[in-house]
Amino acid sequence: MDHTFDLVIVGAGGGGLMAALEALRTNPQTSVAVISKVYPTRSHTSAAQGGVNAALANKDKDDTVELHVFDTIKGGDYLADQDAVEYLCSQAPLVVRELENLGAPFSRFPDGTIAQRPFGGTVKDRCCYCADKTGHTLLHTLFEQCLRRGVKFFNEYFLLSLEHDDGECQGVVAINMRSSAIEAFSARTVILATGGHAKMYWNRSSNAAGNTGDGQAAAFRSGISLKDMEFIQFHPTGLRKSGLLVTEAARGEGGYLLNRHGERFMARYAPQKMELGPRDLVARSMETEILEGNGFTSAAGSYLELDLRHLGAGTIKKKLPQIRELSMNFEGIDPIEEPIPVRPTAHYSMGGIDVNMAQTALCGIYAIGECACVSVHGANRLGGNSLLDILVFGKLAGREAALEAPRRASRPVSPHALKNAAAEIKSYISHKRYERYGIMREEMGKAMADNAGIYRTEVKLRQAVEDISTLRDRFRHIRLFDTGTVYNTNLFQILELKNMLDLALCVSMTSLERQESRGAHYRDDFPRRNDNAWHKHSLCTQSSDGDVKLCSTAVTMGKYGLEARSY
Amino acid sequence: MERREVSFRIYRYNPQVDRHPFYDNFKVAAERGITVLRVLNHIKENLEPRLTFRAYCQAGICGSCAVRVNGVSKLACTTQVWDELAESGDEPILLEPLNNLEVIRDLLVDIDPLLEKLKSNSSWLTSSIPEQQMGHKEHIVSETEFEVIDSASDCILCASCYSECSMMGVNRRYISPPVLLKAFRMNNDTRETLAGERLKQVTADHGLWDCTHCYRCVEHCCKKIPIMDGIHRLREEAFERRMSGSEGARHAQVFFDDIRDNGRLKEMTLPLRTKGVAGSLAMIPLALKMAIKMRTPPLFTKKIPGIKRVRELYLRLEKLNAERQSS
Repeated sequence: MDHTFDLVIVGAGGGGLMAALEALRTNPQTSVAVISKVYPTRSHTSAAQGGVNAALANKDKDDTVELHVFDTIKGGDYLADQDAVEYLCSQAPLVVRELENLGAPFSRFPDGTIAQRPFGGTVKDRCCYCADKTGHTLLHTLFEQCLRRGVKFFNEYFLLSLEHDDGECQGVVAINMRSSAIEAFSARTVILATGGHAKMYWNRSSNAAGNTGDGQAAAFRSGISLKDMEFIQFHPTGLRKSGLLVTEAARGEGGYLLNRHGERFMARYAPQKMELGPRDLVARSMETEILEGNGFTSAAGSYLELDLRHLGAGTIKKKLPQIRELSMNFEGIDPIEEPIPVRPTAHYSMGGIDVNMAQTALCGIYAIGECACVSVHGANRLGGNSLLDILVFGKLAGREAALEAPRRASRPVSPHALKNAAAEIKSYISHKRYERYGIMREEMGKAMADNAGIYRTEVKLRQAVEDISTLRDRFRHIRLFDTGTVYNTNLFQILELKNMLDLALCVSMTSLERQESRGAHYRDDFPRRNDNAWHKHSLCTQSSDGDVKLCSTAVTMGKYGLEARSY
Repeated sequence: MERREVSFRIYRYNPQVDRHPFYDNFKVAAERGITVLRVLNHIKENLEPRLTFRAYCQAGICGSCAVRVNGVSKLACTTQVWDELAESGDEPILLEPLNNLEVIRDLLVDIDPLLEKLKSNSSWLTSSIPEQQMGHKEHIVSETEFEVIDSASDCILCASCYSECSMMGVNRRYISPPVLLKAFRMNNDTRETLAGERLKQVTADHGLWDCTHCYRCVEHCCKKIPIMDGIHRLREEAFERRMSGSEGARHAQVFFDDIRDNGRLKEMTLPLRTKGVAGSLAMIPLALKMAIKMRTPPLFTKKIPGIKRVRELYLRLEKLNAERQSS
């Protein structure tokens, strides 16, 4: 079955849904389809806990957009493009209030305004929240409004490829997961909003099983560059056993990080901001404590403690209910009674599809949110800026695409694209194939966690590049054991692994290339930031023979010059 | 690390090859602390790649992985295997798809009917601010007003309550608990402008008045949301808005009046007072069947001995209600 639309949005998280609503508001005549491999409310936006930053000045009356801009640039270790950051922060009050107007149930201050709390790496308290389920409530609000507007959803469709004719958007090819029918979505404009790729660290990741970078991989294969792929954020507080996330709000509300001597060790690393230093710094400090033997030991590995007990049962139940639930379900610990065992976990991909604001290098194709790299987060994202990113750039891309679509000719997806996709899927079924998904995926996760993790060196990164390259070779022999056509989840596992392997190669190669330490990218062998040589964005592009080509592009500067970064 | 070999008995059905569903048995070495979802993943990756189920966030917030574990609907990702063992003893742990939804394959069900019901009951906020003017000013909402809808906005649409609902079991067209909860959440949001319209949709046939108060939705909600409180509040709102003409509302009113007047229900005239003359005539065959089985309710109903105290209770409740409304 073939479809034709003015705008096809791939991904139904907060960014995709915001784009759909804004496209329809800009031009109600726009025919919009949202395709997603999961039902919209399952998207990973739901897992964002802590909040969304906006200088509303409901709490600190002297907060301004300017301060938000500077916190973001400094937090990103001066790698963010300053024009993009200005746009992000200046739009923040508008989009947060818009979501409030649409129905998002924000927590409130006694005067009835949207409540705000402190978050890492900021000088003012500007994180707006709904308890510790902010992403969940924003996602549901956006989904409800999409139902109201009658947005056309193609739920449980898996993206196979992005199609263009010599740089002009044609649309996408996707597979209907329920029937395995391969379908063409011809579209004048496409917005990729497929989320991040930090699941490539598998067991050491806070991400959903499906955060496999499907949009990034499709864009990469269609010739679009990926930017700043070496920057993967490790969140300081993942649960010890599962890697699941304990929100930064736990520290925002006053939680302590303790080592096995009962010491608040952050006093030695960030004497002023303590536990509320930026995430890269806190995660690295924790890893150092663990490496130096100051961690607690357990069968599930070394860990540190996040102590909330002094906050009292009332605050924990009211402001961090989900954290309490997660701790009880996954660690068997009630944070009212005991500290939570935590260690850093791969959490967010700062890098992604190279875009200028939301526009890729191809006409009519946009990318937003975690799958894109604008760059507004630079080398390290601040907590509370990711929900903001998807709202601001989702809105921008929706508007741009709705304005652009009528100006563009319709270029249908070529039948060859469908045939190629079908042939690829069929090839996985061959009896001559022997590699198994589960084994290869474990090896990939381990290769990335061991050798492209928080502390990196040339030796380790060379090993990571080699391991991932070998896995990509072995992928040619991977076998699809399920030959059915009704919800063949075994097939989607394989397609996701393929996407992660391509992106893991980009992450390990760019990490090896960047011989400095900046933000989340820390090289033991090059422990300092080196602005002369490396104050630039990295780019990876797929060459015609399938190899990865590396190059770079300049950072857009503005008001703020390069400065040392201390907290 | 404590480990045990645990047996799982899993519902299997692939419409392409199986004429009927069957159960597959797997043995897995499971350590303390492992979740049902981890076991499903282990089986899929190591023993049976064709096993089909949904899962996504693995943290109890996306709502994808609800299944029935030993007959009870819950999230696979937050359910501890050892807790289930404590319940089932040496029996294998039984994993089955949710009830009241069509099985597509194995543990995976079609949740589209739930989404359709959300759509047809206006499950969204209709703000007083026109779309083009949004983003400039926030509504002022007090902390107490927020708290009213706080718990209801926890719903992740996992459909566990949909699967456990006893009304859904007999009528798939029934509106279902999560859709009623959503209606409660919207109608009690101080920013909402179309509460009356929504209530009309919600009180239509197969709607609000069909709930049987069995509380299974509350018992099985993975987010511990007091769904029934929401349903009761919607019913109160229906009376407040004088939407008491429907059969369901009349039925509730009859119970209210009978208990106040007699302390017990006058069953004989219940159909007449709820369904009217035409509706009652249609029930004659049922009445005859009941007569044959000697199950006809008594013709005359006596007041219960303690009726005075019942009336005192009514007076106290009415007083409380008046106080609540004036504050």
